[in-house]
This record gives sequence, structure tokens and C-alpha cells, in this order.
Amino acid sequence: MLDFSILTDNMDAFLEGFKVTLIASFIALICSFILGTLIAVMRIAPFKPINWIGTTYVEFIRNIPVLVIVFFTYLAGNFGGMAAGIIGLTVYTAAFIAEAIRAGIMSVPRGQMEAARSSGLTYGQAMRMVILPQAVKIVIPPLGNQFINLVKNSSLLAVVAGGDLMYQGDLISASTFVTFDTYIFVGLFYLILTIPLSFGVGYLEKRLARSN
Amino acid sequence: MIEFKQVNKFYGDFQVLKDINLKINKGEVVVVVGPSGSGKSTLLRCMNHLETISEGTLTVNGVSVGDKKTDINKLRRNIGMIFQHFYLYPHKKVLENITLAPMKVLGQSVKEAKETAMYYLEKVGISDKAESYPSQLSGGQQQRVAIARGLVMKPEIMLFDEPTSALDPEMIGEVLDVMKALAKEGMTMVVVTHEMGFAKEVADRIVFMDEGRILEEAVPAEFFENPREERARLFLSRILNH
Repeated sequence: MLDFSILTDNMDAFLEGFKVTLIASFIALICSFILGTLIAVMRIAPFKPINWIGTTYVEFIRNIPVLVIVFFTYLAGNFGGMAAGIIGLTVYTAAFIAEAIRAGIMSVPRGQMEAARSSGLTYGQAMRMVILPQAVKIVIPPLGNQFINLVKNSSLLAVVAGGDLMYQGDLISASTFVTFDTYIFVGLFYLILTIPLSFGVGYLEKRLARSN
Repeated sequence: MIEFKQVNKFYGDFQVLKDINLKINKGEVVVVVGPSGSGKSTLLRCMNHLETISEGTLTVNGVSVGDKKTDINKLRRNIGMIFQHFYLYPHKKVLENITLAPMKVLGQSVKEAKETAMYYLEKVGISDKAESYPSQLSGGQQQRVAIARGLVMKPEIMLFDEPTSALDPEMIGEVLDVMKALAKEGMTMVVVTHEMGFAKEVADRIVFMDEGRILEEAVPAEFFENPREERARLFLSRILNH
């Protein structure tokens, strides 16, 4: 039987960890979305050197374990575990988001860009007003998956003392020696975050499908 | 108004346009015909720089199209383009499709852009669809919206790239009617099409292309009655006798 006293006795620690995970995930989500969109646009911009920068970023970051990246950002700077973790997660997740967004942009028919440019819009205007709004619909499902991955990956903050849910779990299990039950509760807290996210993505997907 | 001088274009080793010399005057309706793969669409797409030329010079309104110093966005304002597959913006309503460029490119106010848009929607006969999304329209209606979207910029030149090829046969007429009306008003038009009836009736000049070359240029009566080139004769016999 699950030992609920672990939960009740350490509620403050669990909630503190939950809060840090939530905040870290949220900040990394916003930042990686912005950075990812930027890199996606760089990868398809009609200017070769800019393409290369984008491609290099994606290939470089995507092929390094996120744990290594988080260690690197922690050791490279002096801004504490949580900030280092958020930066590491952002850098890593942005590469995947960039790929999802690029795929979305590429799936918009070429003629859409041609029609927009033919009417005198600049490349940037056509991208912003014609291509990206269409790409967003296609990108929502893979993007949602990336965001869920991001929440789960945020558990890596624990290895750099980021104060997140996993980190609090480590502390609790170390002090109580009730490892198994502790991590079950940790897992449940993660589910509280990821399940609504998962349903939210599903809902958005349906709504956007209807508007076609 | 549009002038090709010794224009060549290559895709790698493949030459799509060969020694093109062509002059199109203001108010003229030029219909480009020829078998598929003959370079008709490429020729058209060079005129608004959707394709670049490899050699020679191409000027539109006295401005060199390929030149790096040419403000291509400014040039394009003056050239409307109609595509085979319409390419309306699916996420925008019909009215928004039409007002986008006038507002963003010409800097018109919402009110002004809407008024002009409605004027042209009426002109192409579908002002009742202003608040619809493109997906709710038939192909013929979508193409007419596309024409309104082009006209609203008040261009001096309209380019049509097989405007009726993706349409059900019963909708071809409504689009051709709009184009005929435009031609009557004196719009400079370059039309790539397989609609020989339209070509006969509306064109001032027929340009026949094959394998990247302009083989024949003639007024419609001459071209259809008595084509000079053997290749054109063969093409016409195939397209007219089926």
C-alpha cells in the first residue's frame, strides 16, 4: 500500500518543487517557441548564409543529449541551477520546435508565397500574414508534443540542483529512505501538468480542423 | 510595355527559354499557346520576377526586371498575377483576401480598402461572398475572387497563368467572361491558356511556343486559319479536333 504520509509530511517540498517545475517549464516554453520560430525562419530564408546558421544550430543541438547541454549551461555560467536549467532546456527544445515549425511552413503550398509576393508584399510581410498563420495549424500537434516533452525534460533541473519537482523528490527520498513511494508521487505531480496539456493540444487540434 | 531581348533561361543544363524576343504594348491582349513544357508559364513568370532570367534583358515599363537595383515589390504592385490554382489565402475571408495588399502595400485605410474591394467584387459578380471563406466557394468563384484581388491594386498589366485549367468545364465560362470584360476595358493582358475560343475572340496577338522558343507570332485570324509553322499546324489539329 502506498505510504501517503510521505505526501502529507512533505507537502510543502512537493508543492515548492511543483511550482519550480511549472515556472521553469513555462519560461522555457515561451523562450524556446520564440527562439525556435526564429531559427525555423532562418532555415528557410532566401539567403544561404542565414540558412547555414539555422541548420548548424539545429543539427548541433539536436544531436547532443539534453543532459549534457544542461550541465554545460550550468558550468559555463554562474547563474544557479534553475536559470541554467531553463536556458539549457530552451536551447535544446528550440531545435525541435524549429524543425516542427519549418515542416509546417514547408507544407504550405509554394503558390501561397508566390501569390502574396506577386501582390507586392515583402518576403517578411508574406511570411507573417500569409504563410505563418497557415503553418500554425499544421504545427500545433507536433508543437504540443514538444511542449509535453519539455515539461518532462525539466526534471533534468534536478541534476544541477534546480529546485524542481524531481529535485525535491530526490531530497525527500534521501531523508526518508522511502524511495519507491516518493517517486510515485513525483510522477503523479508530473501527470497533473502533462495530462491537461495533452488534452488542451487535442482540443486545439479539433478546433483548428473545424475552421478549415 | 513588356520587352524581352534575347532572353535565355536555364534550369541547370536544361534550357527552358531560348532566344526570346517579344514586345507587348500597352492595352494589348497577348495569348501564349503551345504544348505543355514549352516554356509558356516560365515566360509569364519571368515578367513579375517569380522566375529569373539567365541571359538577355527583360524590361517592364522601362524598368529592368532582373536588375539588382530594381525595387521588385514596387514593380509587382503594377502587375497582377492569376494562377491556375487560384492561391487564395485559405485562412482569410474573401474580403480580407482582397484588402490585404492594398492596406499593407499601398497603405490604404481599412475603409478605403473595403470600398475598393467591394467595387471589384461586384465587378466580378460575387459581392455576396465577401464574408465567406475561400473553401466555401466553387472553383470558378475562387478564380474570380483571385482576379478581383489582382485588380484591386489597379495594375497596368495582368498576367494569367492557365486561369481555367483547374476548373470544372461549366465554370470556365464565368471566368473567361470576366477576362473578356477586362480586355475590352483596355487592360494589358498576357494569358497562357488552352482556351482557343477565348484566344480567337479576345487576343490581339497569339504567341506560339514550343521547346522554349517562340515559333510564331500572329493575329488570331492568321494563326488559326493559316499557321506558318508546321509545329503550330500539328498543335492546332490536335487541340481543335478532339
